[in-house]
Amino acid sequence: MTQSLPPKSLVLYADDDPEDIELVSEAFQSYAQNVELLTFSDGIELLNFIETVDPFHVSPCLFILDINMPRLNGKETLRRLRRIESFAEVPAVLFSTSSLPADAAFAKNLNAGFVTKPLHTHQVHLIIDEIIDHCSDEVKKNIRRKNRNGN
Amino acid sequence: MTKKALSLTEFIDLPQELQFEVLHKHGVYVGKRKADKQTIVLFQLHGFYVEVYYRQYRKIIDHVITSDNADILQPYLDQINVRGLNDNNEKNR
Repeated sequence: MTQSLPPKSLVLYADDDPEDIELVSEAFQSYAQNVELLTFSDGIELLNFIETVDPFHVSPCLFILDINMPRLNGKETLRRLRRIESFAEVPAVLFSTSSLPADAAFAKNLNAGFVTKPLHTHQVHLIIDEIIDHCSDEVKKNIRRKNRNGN
Repeated sequence: MTKKALSLTEFIDLPQELQFEVLHKHGVYVGKRKADKQTIVLFQLHGFYVEVYYRQYRKIIDHVITSDNADILQPYLDQINVRGLNDNNEKNR
C-alpha cells in the first residue's frame, strides 16, 4: 500500500544576516520532516515571492521577519502582509536582536508575535519553540506530534 | 512601580548566566563586526555597553567586554540606528 506523506508546513523567513539564516535553518532541521523553511534576504524578496504564488496551493503557516533589514524592514513587511487579504491572518513573528518594548507593541498591534534572537546556544531551541508557538494550534500540534514520532 | 536600571558595576557583579539573561531581555542591539574570524556583537544596556565576543556565533560566547565609554561605538558607527538608541534612552530615564 502506498501512503502519501502529509504536506509540510511552510515557514517563510526574511533576514539580511546570512549567519542568522544559517542558525535558524539549522535549528529547524529537527523539524525538517514536517516543516519547509524558505528564506529571503529582505522584505521585498519575501513579498515578491508571495505575489507570485497561488494562495490556494501555497499557504505559509508562519512568517518570521527580522526587524532590521535593508530595502524593506520587518515592520513594514508585516504591515504590507496584513494588507494582503489571503495572508492577513497568517501568524507572523517579528524577530530581533533587541528587545525594544516599542517593537513588541508594534507586533502586538498587527496581531504578530515578537521574539528576541538567541544570545547563546541554550536559547536557540527554546526560541525556535517560542516561534512555533505562534503557529495555529492545528499546525503546532502537527509539527510537534509528527516530529516526536519521527525522532 | 518603576524598575531601577542596572548599573555597570551591578551588571559586572552578576553571575555570567544572569548577565546573559539580562542582556537578552533588555539589551538593545547596536551592531555586529568581525575581527580575526570572530563575530562580535555590541549591545547597549541601560547606560553602558556590552560587547559579546563569540567563539561560535549565537552559540558559544567566548567573553564579554563592558564599558560606559562611548569610544566602544567607534567600529559600529556606520551601523548605528540612532533613532532606536534614542528611543531606548528615553525609556530608561
